[in-house]
Amino acid sequence: MSSPATSPRTAPPGPAEEIKFTLPPPEPTGVASLVVHPLARAGRQFVKSLWRPSTIVYPYRTPFGKATERLEDPKFRQEVDIRSGVPIGVGEIWDNYRGVHALNIQTCISCNLCMFSCPDTCIEMVSVETEGGKSKKCPQIDYGKCSFCGFCSDACPEGCLSMTSRYTLTTNDRSHMVYSPQMMNAVYRTKLPMNPIRLARPENEDNILLDQDLCIGCNACSRDCPTKCITMIEIPKPTAKPGEKLPKRIWKEPMVNDEDCVRCGTCISVCPKECLYWGSHG
Amino acid sequence: MSEMWVNMGPQHPMTHGLWNLRVKVDGELVTDAVPELGYLHRGIEKICEYRRYNEVVTLMDRTCYVAGLAWEQLYLMASEQALGVEVPERAEYIRVMCQELQRLASHLMWFAAFVMDVGLMAPFGYGMRDRDVILDLFQSFTGARMTYEYMRVGGVRNDVPVGFTDRCRKVMGWLEQRIKDYEDLCDRSDIFLKRCIDVGVLKAQDCIRNGITGPMLRSAGVARDLRRDRPYSAYPELDFQVAVHDAADVYGRYRVRMEEMRQSIFIVRQTLDHLDRKPGRVIAEKVPRFVGTPSPPPGQESYIVRRGYPKGVGFSAMEEPHGEALAYVVNEGGEQPYRVKFRSPVMVNICAVRDYLVGYRVSDIPAIMGSIDVCVGESDR
Repeated sequence: MSSPATSPRTAPPGPAEEIKFTLPPPEPTGVASLVVHPLARAGRQFVKSLWRPSTIVYPYRTPFGKATERLEDPKFRQEVDIRSGVPIGVGEIWDNYRGVHALNIQTCISCNLCMFSCPDTCIEMVSVETEGGKSKKCPQIDYGKCSFCGFCSDACPEGCLSMTSRYTLTTNDRSHMVYSPQMMNAVYRTKLPMNPIRLARPENEDNILLDQDLCIGCNACSRDCPTKCITMIEIPKPTAKPGEKLPKRIWKEPMVNDEDCVRCGTCISVCPKECLYWGSHG
Repeated sequence: MSEMWVNMGPQHPMTHGLWNLRVKVDGELVTDAVPELGYLHRGIEKICEYRRYNEVVTLMDRTCYVAGLAWEQLYLMASEQALGVEVPERAEYIRVMCQELQRLASHLMWFAAFVMDVGLMAPFGYGMRDRDVILDLFQSFTGARMTYEYMRVGGVRNDVPVGFTDRCRKVMGWLEQRIKDYEDLCDRSDIFLKRCIDVGVLKAQDCIRNGITGPMLRSAGVARDLRRDRPYSAYPELDFQVAVHDAADVYGRYRVRMEEMRQSIFIVRQTLDHLDRKPGRVIAEKVPRFVGTPSPPPGQESYIVRRGYPKGVGFSAMEEPHGEALAYVVNEGGEQPYRVKFRSPVMVNICAVRDYLVGYRVSDIPAIMGSIDVCVGESDR
């Protein structure tokens, strides 16, 4: 070690000070160390946690209400008024969140539109027993494939299939991700907010029209119509001119009752000859 | 000292995604660099050919996970051109508002990651928190925070809710102050300035030679912005300025992005005023009803052909938060697009890595790569 005289740069002025160590206080023994001190420490932390929790949950709250401190900017969420009503907390989300579907089996008309509109092919139509011993087809959704895009609830003409703010889907078994219509009906009964947004239909194209030259009278549209608003009416069979060959078909045509029709488009989709299309009578 | 190749990635804090940067180093000096992409390739362009026009929108959100709405509109502008659909005015304004909010969210995300790379820890939390507020806004009218699925052929899914414009204005006013604070925070930091100034210089002629677009090109002094030069949607009626800086280095890119955020706030306010003034439809009346109309059985003649939607080709170009993105959609009359092709700006910006990395030190690499705002989801697709 160099002396202060040879290294003035590091030598502090004045006499050398004694280094003082601050020793920790002796540990208490006996009843005080085993019972009183831990209790006192826990009590201190509990009292402290009432206004300042030790583990900060985003955004955290105290038993007496919301805390007013977050990062360095107090009340930033209140300032921007990002949420009207209930504040966002752990497990709270917006009403229009796209989560697990709610299905009202009573009003479902089995139109298959949810299945057709699904980009991930996760919807399957399964039979459901309804009151009176009858059965009808209702959607069953595989949440292992679902991307929660909301096309199915947009396409639903009755508003009976809608997405809710329920998001708890964690499970150990992949088969539990398949939600049957009854399970989605149970979600419906929990009365979570449902926001079905039905796409606006073209105002002047709300009727189902028929191209009579293409129709073969196969009855497919009438058979699959969920509201049974299509009836097959007989048309007169034309007399063949000499040298002309009549088309091979059943001499019937669909007639749509526009009052009962829910504009689901099932008939258009099942028509094997593509003779039904959207249009207007006017 | 002999040279050696070093792999930075695919798992590396610098990459901000899944890609590999191979650098040749001579001691601390970078003498060569090669990007290796493709780790996140999902074949999105091919999947698009098997989905109906509206259903492709679900893929566009997954293409770029920080700017999903930008890619939705990019694809839809091309497909609307291919199908011959016109979008109502109100829907165009809602789309532009989405674009600018998305640009804010994307740039804030970039800000958080970039300052983290450069060495400032605290702004990371601020950037992510501010982005969170914008995601709350998105959730209030789209129903999701990242995968929005909000736009449709011919418009958008639903109108903005009641009281949204006032809420959005409050957020914008608050955010404007925040951006000013962040600029103070960075510009007064010696660490930040020393790591940014005169690092990663790429002059204007090199940018143009490599096809680099977006904030990187504008930071080199070239005032090129598709919103102004090739206006689309409602941009011709809006007033804004193009952010340009002439430093051509990392600091210039930071400056350009901060100024762009301010311009975005300016644009959002104009669109909000318009939304308050003029109610109207948000989706076109004559929309091909792929959503509501199920597909015919395979082998049958298509519904669209029969309804008179002729064949066509659509092309769109837009100023995405990362740069100029292009989309090309071919409609051969079927229900699905015949071919969909995208041009990702990030892909081009990464591929010029040799030009702006060689000659700098290894410790400059995180700052330089952070400044180009990498999003691997859209570059690999």
